Amino acid sequence: MHIDHTHRKWFTASLVIFGVATAVYVPYAAHSPGGPRGGSTIGLAFGIIGSAFMAFAGLLSARKNVPVWRLGRAQSWMRGHLWLGLLSLPLTFYHAGFRLGGPLTSVLLWLLIIVVASGVFGAVIQHYLPRVMTLQVPGETIFEQIDHVREQLVAEADRLVDGAETAEGTRRDKAGGGVSLAMQSEVAVDEAAALRNFYAREMRAFLTSGGKRHPVLSDADTARSAFEGLRTLLPAELHEMTQRLGAICEEERQLRRESRIHHWLHGWLMMHIPLSFALLLLGCVHAITALRY
Amino acid sequence: MSGAALVELTIDGKRVAVPAGTSVFDAARLNGIAIPTLCHQQNETPVGVCRLCVVDVNARVFTASCVRPAEPGMVVNTASEKVQRARRTLLEMLMADHLSPCARQQHSGDCELETLAKQAGIAEPRYAKRNASRGKDNSSVSIAVDFDACILCDRCIRGCGEIRENFVLGRMGKGGTAGIAFDDNEPMGESSCVSCGECMVSCPTGALTNRGVTATALGSGPDVQQVSPERLQELPVFKGVSGTFLSLNRGAVVQRRFRAGDVICSEGEYGSTAFYILDGKARVSISTPMAHVKTQGALKKFIGKLSSGLAQRQQDRREEEADQRWIPIDAPVDLNYDNPVAELGPDDLFGEMTCMSLYPRSATVRAETDCTTLEMLRNVLDIMQRNKTFRAQLDKSYRRRALDSHLRSVPVFAELTDDFIASLRESVELVRYSPGQVICKQGDPAEAFYLVRIGFVKVSQAHPGGEIVLAYLSRGDYFGETGLLLGDVRTATCTALDHVEVVRIGADDFRRMIEQFPVIRQKLEAVEQERALMNRQRLSVLHSVPLDSFLAQGLMEAQSLLLLDLNSCTRCDACVRACADAHDGITRLVREGLRFDHYLVATSCRQCLDPLCMVGCPVGSIRRRNSLEVIIEDWCIGCGLCAENCPYGNINLHPFNVTVDDPERPGRKKAVMKQKATSCDLCKDFAEPSCVYACPHDAARRVDPRRFFAGLLGQAPGIARKV
Amino acid sequence: MAGAERTTKKLAQRIDLNYFKRPHPFRRWRFWLSVTAPVLAVLWLAWCGLAGNQRVYSGGKLSSAHAVLVARCNACHVKAAGAFSARASDQACLSCHDGPIHHANQTFTPNCASCHEEHQGRMQLASTADASCTQCHLHLKTSGSPTKFVRNIRSFGSAAHPEFAALRPGAIDPGTIKLNHAVHMKPNLAGPNGPVQMDCDNCHRAPTSNQAFRFDSATGMPVTIAEKSQLSIAISARAYMAPVTYAKHCVACHGLQFDKRFTESAPHDTPQVIQAFLVQKFQQYIGGHSNELREPGPDRTLPQKPAPLSVRLLTRDQWVAERVGESEELLWRKTCRQCHALTLAADGGLPTVAHSNITARWMPHANFNHERHQMLKCTECHSGALTSHETADILLPGIRTCEKCHHSGADAAEARCFECHTYHDWTKQKEVKGKLLLSGLGCGE
Repeated sequence: MHIDHTHRKWFTASLVIFGVATAVYVPYAAHSPGGPRGGSTIGLAFGIIGSAFMAFAGLLSARKNVPVWRLGRAQSWMRGHLWLGLLSLPLTFYHAGFRLGGPLTSVLLWLLIIVVASGVFGAVIQHYLPRVMTLQVPGETIFEQIDHVREQLVAEADRLVDGAETAEGTRRDKAGGGVSLAMQSEVAVDEAAALRNFYAREMRAFLTSGGKRHPVLSDADTARSAFEGLRTLLPAELHEMTQRLGAICEEERQLRRESRIHHWLHGWLMMHIPLSFALLLLGCVHAITALRY
Repeated sequence: MSGAALVELTIDGKRVAVPAGTSVFDAARLNGIAIPTLCHQQNETPVGVCRLCVVDVNARVFTASCVRPAEPGMVVNTASEKVQRARRTLLEMLMADHLSPCARQQHSGDCELETLAKQAGIAEPRYAKRNASRGKDNSSVSIAVDFDACILCDRCIRGCGEIRENFVLGRMGKGGTAGIAFDDNEPMGESSCVSCGECMVSCPTGALTNRGVTATALGSGPDVQQVSPERLQELPVFKGVSGTFLSLNRGAVVQRRFRAGDVICSEGEYGSTAFYILDGKARVSISTPMAHVKTQGALKKFIGKLSSGLAQRQQDRREEEADQRWIPIDAPVDLNYDNPVAELGPDDLFGEMTCMSLYPRSATVRAETDCTTLEMLRNVLDIMQRNKTFRAQLDKSYRRRALDSHLRSVPVFAELTDDFIASLRESVELVRYSPGQVICKQGDPAEAFYLVRIGFVKVSQAHPGGEIVLAYLSRGDYFGETGLLLGDVRTATCTALDHVEVVRIGADDFRRMIEQFPVIRQKLEAVEQERALMNRQRLSVLHSVPLDSFLAQGLMEAQSLLLLDLNSCTRCDACVRACADAHDGITRLVREGLRFDHYLVATSCRQCLDPLCMVGCPVGSIRRRNSLEVIIEDWCIGCGLCAENCPYGNINLHPFNVTVDDPERPGRKKAVMKQKATSCDLCKDFAEPSCVYACPHDAARRVDPRRFFAGLLGQAPGIARKV
Repeated sequence: MAGAERTTKKLAQRIDLNYFKRPHPFRRWRFWLSVTAPVLAVLWLAWCGLAGNQRVYSGGKLSSAHAVLVARCNACHVKAAGAFSARASDQACLSCHDGPIHHANQTFTPNCASCHEEHQGRMQLASTADASCTQCHLHLKTSGSPTKFVRNIRSFGSAAHPEFAALRPGAIDPGTIKLNHAVHMKPNLAGPNGPVQMDCDNCHRAPTSNQAFRFDSATGMPVTIAEKSQLSIAISARAYMAPVTYAKHCVACHGLQFDKRFTESAPHDTPQVIQAFLVQKFQQYIGGHSNELREPGPDRTLPQKPAPLSVRLLTRDQWVAERVGESEELLWRKTCRQCHALTLAADGGLPTVAHSNITARWMPHANFNHERHQMLKCTECHSGALTSHETADILLPGIRTCEKCHHSGADAAEARCFECHTYHDWTKQKEVKGKLLLSGLGCGE
């Protein structure tokens, strides 16, 4: 998401609404006997408008469930969600007269503060992190398929390493010429052994550990030197394969990085969404009980 | 053919000489002697299983003439008593196993076995008929298999393997249980058969027959008349076209009548048919505004709107195009730039490229008088183009009408005299290439000059970083002169992108031309220098700007890309969900692919200029509608060819629930899972693509890549044209 | 072959096309948390509901006085049968409190809650905001006869609040007792036992003061009728200064001696009483001193001319009458008149003394409490006292004096309306018959 010039209209409108609300609130607060109350006409108006904004913000989830229905572009809903949701905070404060009130209303106000704060946090994160992700993870794939892709990488690596042994074996056999067959195969096995051992001991564990840190391969520099060291132990025919394995490790590192960034990108929703539902529910209860009492 | 040794032999008392390696059968055929066959087909490797072509060569046993090469001094008797008796016995044996009359005999009366049997006077075979039925297989949508009619001639196997290279058919079993099988002896409909029909067309009997299921989109109406195969075969152009084929593809060609003034086709429309004028006259023209308009009497009617198009046109024209005077169109004649109107008459075929390669119509054709035309689909046109009579006619027509203008349209050839053109006319060759075929390879010695008649040719060069496409050439463009001029090797590889036909001017003629008209040489050299300069420029640009990745990813090909701005995209999958929502739960877009700049080029149909996906669809179900979007019709058979062809993986196969006739319970339907191909259709049912509509962050866009990235590439759009 | 070359097709084909339909931990967590949070909220409210705890819906802490009702919402939020609303109505307030109407001429009566806002935390409900008062008094309208009160009062302060009524231009102290504050407060004032310096509190104290007065009479003459008036509506016992009385404050220096034969003073009472006292006193005296009946006349002997000594022989009554007459002459014409406004009777009868008219309470519409201001030096507010010569001077401090401490702002003394004024006319207070049980409050359980 980019909060850029395309948000200008919404921003201006929000500013205007905020200005009008403040202009109404200040004299109202000054003149009401006993101070501003949620139950007074103006206070109630603030409350209703604030809740309307909150309800609209909450409807974003529902809108996303029917993406194809022509109920207004997703962008407009998103921008409405951002700006009207943000506005609901001052309006609710005006409704409450900047007082916490009783248990239910305090909980509500705190919930609102947390929800809006997490929303602002999320908006900031989603403004900056996509670019970070784009730059830092060139090998990006779909987050939910990371495990699936990882499996394919592991399968590919397995295939490569298995191929290394047989390729090595056949090459040596073909080379032949004066050396006994027994000696040839020994040499063959030894040469690929370094690769095989490295793969079995280090790389496979790295690929299948599900994100756990590996002392050598988690860091690009140590990994590179490890592979370079490995290359010195291997014949030239296996170098390309080693390079490919190195590329696979790099891809795994990128997948891990992507996973981390993605968690930041979407993790805040775990707080924002459940609490907002609780907020809406309790808000309804509050509306009913407050009007009743 | 020169230099091949001749073999002399005697056939039926006639001394004949044939090239070494010719089979006895062919030797006889070449000399007018027909030997009956069943398993032998001209376009397939002879296998000699039916033994019907046996001939007496005075050896211990008869020999199957289709596989036996002619040997010097051979004495062949093709129709002696013994031979005939042997054939009769064979036919009787075959008839015993062949349930008669088979479907083909019933339908069109031309089951080869039964025909031969009738000719041999076999009414009832002496041998006991088979009592156990070998069964039927009606699982395929388009081909019915009747094992009881099969004579195990293996023509279908060879057709599927050698000709079509699908390798679905094979043999199974031994002895009495031997038969043909699909894949691992699966029902045909569940096998990897692509319903191309080759086996069916190859089958001499009614073992494999057409089910006539696939519908064609030629429409109906008062002006449309179905034509019977007989009527078609009366037409000179259809001479030699298999009647079987025509009757099997009934409906793929219809007769259409147009009244004077009716529009037959409009330029820019997408279509999938070609028109052949039977009688009447039509006027072909281009009605979009152009720069040079000399309004003359006839033109006024057509060039109605002279609008801002004028200004645009002018900007597009570059120096070399100043001389261009012909607009190549998809017809036997090209349009003069200054007066873009031409006439088409009887025996003219137009709309080839639209039909073969699914390009938009290149011009508007309007009936001048009452016209009767044949409208045909690709499969019919394909067969016709293989047909020698038709080809000869096309050839003649082209040479008479278009070759001149084509040659003259090459700016450097503008100086050629009429005589020279006349002499060239006869010595040029019209060569066809199928998609992907390399016309000339970089590094090969240059021996010809080529002019593109129809189709698209890709000109590319190999570079350390990979292959770089230099240009795409189409009708009226030319290539190959550089190598000839420099007397050197080819500087680039030219590949046919779709069904391409080129005019090939041999090196000798070319040299003759250069010698007679030195000014041409100068012009060519000037063009060559310009091209080299531009290539160098382009290469330098390549290093500084991601042009290589732009081209390498094939973004140049695309008319519409789905771009996800990665700086705004929050990877929320709203686009994918919306797409799935709008398309029965199957997403047509995948958020994976290569990046360009900071955009992810999503894996979703790119509406390529050159739709590689459409090439080869056996049932013509993937096509374009009247605007950009590619749609896959309901009758897609799930062969997966389009998915394979698409170089970007934009087409995927998905299982769909379809109701089909239940073969075990006739009259009822059952639901089966059929694989069908799916692809992005730009959400034409909606006002806006759903993915773009549903993206909350305005990160998804459908753009025209060349216009969108024009700034980034540092050049004006239209980069890939004549370099 | 691993695909060293990355192509779109290879990348896309890695993906399972139905991935977005399958459950993923991320989405699962989001879903379940989104279900859990509202469910927890509902459970919380249900728990409160089941426990009969309605406090969760309270709009804020109750005031200190009502804190005991915190668990009994329906003490105030009475729900009429079948109605939805359970607002705290005036009926609910009036079941425990009486709130007499402010003024018969008010154009509307605000309901209790509009001024006394509950659920604002631990505060005094009576501390209403100025807005409660200014909603009428900013643009005062009356029904019925026009009011004599100022119509535009915004808040406290010389700019927004009129000057106190007692200090209007032309107002004078109606008291008839002649008093010169300046003389009394001067140093070296002649006192009963020598020169004294008097202090304010020698005369001005709260009625309940039990400290001895400096110039008190040892006899402790009782407070007479006049002094008792006007004290009945004091807010607190020590709010106002008791009116200055002769017996407590004047008697030590201002004795009412009437005859050299007696040291005692005449009683400080009505002329009738004094006359009776005098008569009784002299009668008592002559009884013991009958020789004074014989009153020699004045010695008229001239040096060359002896004159016979005239002697008067009076009867007792005559003698008493003469002496009483003389004393009365002294008292009526000099002693009493020194302080009182006394009118002699034309026919020689007893004079009439004007009512002293000492104002016990200068601001009947506002409450003032001296006890709260006792830390200040008296003359800080009553700055005119030391220099006042005339009784007519009103030594009440004006609004500007009050304003010095009582103005708006966090660092000032309370300046809201309720600090001095009351809305409810407590003279019309009715008795409230209490109906609540302790068990109803949940106390003593």
